[in-house]
Amino acid sequence: MSSDILSFIIFLPAIVAFGLMLTTRDVNTIRNIAFLTTTVILALVLKIYIEFEPSAGMQFVTNVPWIESYGIHYYVGLDGFSLTILMMIAVLIPTAYLLLWEGKTKGYWINMLLVQAGVTGTLLSLDVILFYFFWEVMLLPVFLMIGAYGFGDKVATTIKVTVYTMAGSLLMFVAIAYLGVAYHTEFGEWSFAYNELVKITTLDYTTKVWLFLAFLAAFAIKIPLFPLHTWIMETYKNAPTGAVFLLSSIMAKLGVYAIVRFMIPIFPEIYVEFSIYFVAIGIFGLVYFGIAAFMQDDIKRMFAYASASHLSLIAAGIFSLNEYGINGALYLIIAHAISTGALFLLVGLIHEQTGFKTMKDLGGIASQAPVFTFIFAIMLFANVGLPGTNGFVSELLIIFGIYEFNHILGYVAATTVIIGASYMLWMFQKAILQDRPEGSAVLKMRDLKIKEIIAFIPWVILVFLMGLYPDIFIDKFEPTVTHYLQDILHIGATK
Amino acid sequence: MSEFIYLIPALTVLIGALVLMFMSMYEKFKTRDFIVVSTVFLVIALGFCLAKFTVFYSVIPFSEVINNVLIFDSFSNYFNILLIVGTILTLLIGEHYFQHRSFFKGEFFSILMFALFGMMLLSHANELITAYLALEIASFAVYIMVGFNTENSKRVEAIFKYLVLGAFIGSFYLLGVVLVYGATGTTNLTQIGEFILTHTGDDMILVYIGLTLIFFTFLFKIAAFPFQSWVLDIYRGAPMVITAYMASTFKIAIFSFFLRAILHDFAPIIDFWDTIISVIIIFTLIFGTWLAITQNIVKRMLAASSIVHTGYLLLAFIALSYKDGMIINIDSAYATMFYLLAYLLSALGSFGLASHIISETNVKVTYDDFKGLSKQRPFLAAMMTIFLFSLAGIPSTIGFIGKFYVFTEAINAGYMGLTVLAILATIVSVYYYFKLIAMMYFYPPKEECISEEFNDKRVSTYAIAFVAILTVLGGVGSAIVFFIPVMNIDSIIELTKIAVQSLFILR
Repeated sequence: MSSDILSFIIFLPAIVAFGLMLTTRDVNTIRNIAFLTTTVILALVLKIYIEFEPSAGMQFVTNVPWIESYGIHYYVGLDGFSLTILMMIAVLIPTAYLLLWEGKTKGYWINMLLVQAGVTGTLLSLDVILFYFFWEVMLLPVFLMIGAYGFGDKVATTIKVTVYTMAGSLLMFVAIAYLGVAYHTEFGEWSFAYNELVKITTLDYTTKVWLFLAFLAAFAIKIPLFPLHTWIMETYKNAPTGAVFLLSSIMAKLGVYAIVRFMIPIFPEIYVEFSIYFVAIGIFGLVYFGIAAFMQDDIKRMFAYASASHLSLIAAGIFSLNEYGINGALYLIIAHAISTGALFLLVGLIHEQTGFKTMKDLGGIASQAPVFTFIFAIMLFANVGLPGTNGFVSELLIIFGIYEFNHILGYVAATTVIIGASYMLWMFQKAILQDRPEGSAVLKMRDLKIKEIIAFIPWVILVFLMGLYPDIFIDKFEPTVTHYLQDILHIGATK
Repeated sequence: MSEFIYLIPALTVLIGALVLMFMSMYEKFKTRDFIVVSTVFLVIALGFCLAKFTVFYSVIPFSEVINNVLIFDSFSNYFNILLIVGTILTLLIGEHYFQHRSFFKGEFFSILMFALFGMMLLSHANELITAYLALEIASFAVYIMVGFNTENSKRVEAIFKYLVLGAFIGSFYLLGVVLVYGATGTTNLTQIGEFILTHTGDDMILVYIGLTLIFFTFLFKIAAFPFQSWVLDIYRGAPMVITAYMASTFKIAIFSFFLRAILHDFAPIIDFWDTIISVIIIFTLIFGTWLAITQNIVKRMLAASSIVHTGYLLLAFIALSYKDGMIINIDSAYATMFYLLAYLLSALGSFGLASHIISETNVKVTYDDFKGLSKQRPFLAAMMTIFLFSLAGIPSTIGFIGKFYVFTEAINAGYMGLTVLAILATIVSVYYYFKLIAMMYFYPPKEECISEEFNDKRVSTYAIAFVAILTVLGGVGSAIVFFIPVMNIDSIIELTKIAVQSLFILR
């Protein structure tokens, strides 16, 4: 049973979603059952988190044939790295439900459940084809959510985001097929399991570079890395709050995760060789998106850029080839998911209540909604990396990592992180603290309800707990990172 | 008697066609009766086919009478099943459409059965003239069915174009047969195969030319470049149900004969056409994609996208290669057969569903007319979405598995460039398929398309749901739905293997 627990976690939301789709039309029932499902999943994930043995590699593995003729297996399992992200997803989603509680339709909740199945599946699959399967499937509910519940020019946005991300995925698909064929040619049998594909030796250098880039296309679009970011502004601006939350806090992280899970083991030498470019691109993205965020008046767009900026930093950390950088990137994945997720949800609340989402229209929220402002401030500080919050720990680690990787880039990274702080605080002051200009009516904004405050409590605790005692969390995934560095990349761990 | 059992499916269909023809002389039978009778005959035929589905065999019954021109083996059986299933589903999905159009008289169903008979014969054919006859039986039946749409002024253009072009390309075929006969002295595929094995150089020139001409017929019938342009006008003018039939079932029948010829008899020289096919694939993909994105009418878009799917199928074709007395990459033949099944389901589903939607009213033809379908008829919109996903190759549908095989085999054979091109075509296809989904889900319905009078509890809807379920099951496969053995992906592959291997049974 314990080995099937992962499959249960993956498919429970999907089964519940289909069951609800067919049986009931009552939105409240659907929402309550959906919420219950996510809490059940949270409980299961907690159980896994406790039982997990950090030093033991892949655990809770299920490996059964799916399409035997092509050696495709239903192969799921987790290590310290995926466990951390799984935990993050399991915590984030139920709380997001509490914040999205009112005024949604049946389709909204069903899609939320389906997304959860998709992202969990993506996270846990160890067979590349299975991974691709979930990777594509998780996009479809988001596609429906943006199109059906979005704002503005939503249909064009939907088509754009779909074609954009599918283009990346399909390029990855060719690369997957190519790897499968290479494995078949070399060993005489088919396999798409990631730990089998690692054994391929026949690929020459140029081919590997192309395959590497094809894989990267899929992940870099999702993250997004500069210059493949052009889809996110419109999407984040026009998408409903739930979809933005899912895209920014969860799916973008899966892009980073997939780089570590599949690209590092399969193309270690290319990864090492190209890392300098990607650290540079990451830091460039950090600066570029930071400046772009400065220019925005629409808060959602601003957060979109801010999120891209942070993700570029995460990518830079991932490519920095040492324990500080990778640990920090992993840590920032969690920290950023919490703070950005919360900020998007809070801005969603502002938008719902006041009808505005641009800085020039907003103002005076602090006096209307003090608790709201308080939580907003905490999340904002975590996002910009104030000491004491989880953002600080992770950004510090990444900057150490980049510094060790390349001194000059390290200096650049250290000095440019400040950009993020400046635009965020500026926005906070203009939109939340400062009163609206004279002559305009005071905005009506209710404060958070008890339910919403309860939802935020675990996040707030996490922000500080992760900020003050990072070791409890890092211990869970550090052995995995060390394993990656020593056994796969053959670089001594530098700690 | 034991030999007679092999003939039963084809004969049942033939008898069914004749019975329906006699029935059509009487006024008292309604459209519904014709549908029931033809379905009964088809189900009987299907039953006999299914009985031998997993059997590995190859026989020439009554060889002194049939004289080696027809072969009955697992291969033809596989295709017969696809063809009969395609026809049954066309009938059932079109049930609503048939009843709402005054021009579907009894003889229509007879002609449909004749078309099926021709196609089944084609899958058995082991001789060039027989294949031609079978092809023409099927083609003429289809020509007539295209012209049935008396309400649409486009039908004259459609039938005329199709008839003239079809006859024209048929003459290519005949010329090809003559040349091959001139060189080899026979029209029997097996004997031609022996001739090819034992001759080289100058003896082969006429064979090459003749086979190239025959090959052109093939390209025309499957609507590959440079013969793709007829498709749009003909599919547009034909009754919607017939469009579905042509796009799915008829295409498969064409593939059955040419796969047999190429795999078994012409295998030693198939690499001769590799360059030509490469060029054809490139242009088929590009032109098909270009046509598909520029269409505003859904039916034409689906028709154009079927050209792109032809390109994918040819990609699996080109992966076949011959070396040292045997076909290498035989796996790509399985991939082709699998893709044909996948395409049958998704094309039949999408075209059929479109025909079902327009059956009460004539308006749902452009993208705009599909707006708001999900609000009015959520069930149909969901089914349509599944079919479009399958056509676009989104995972969890059978279309994805089909694409996976085809692309993997193409890469395996070293056609990396063509595969990348095909992937690019797929990326664009995501655009035009998802545009339709967006229309259905994200817009309010148009005023003139709102119709309250529809009944989703009817045969057509159930048939569509059945196809949709197969589409999804075929894509998810055994890991989750292990309890349905036939739709297990592995067993489908196993069946295609049995079918292809039965070609090589020594007789």
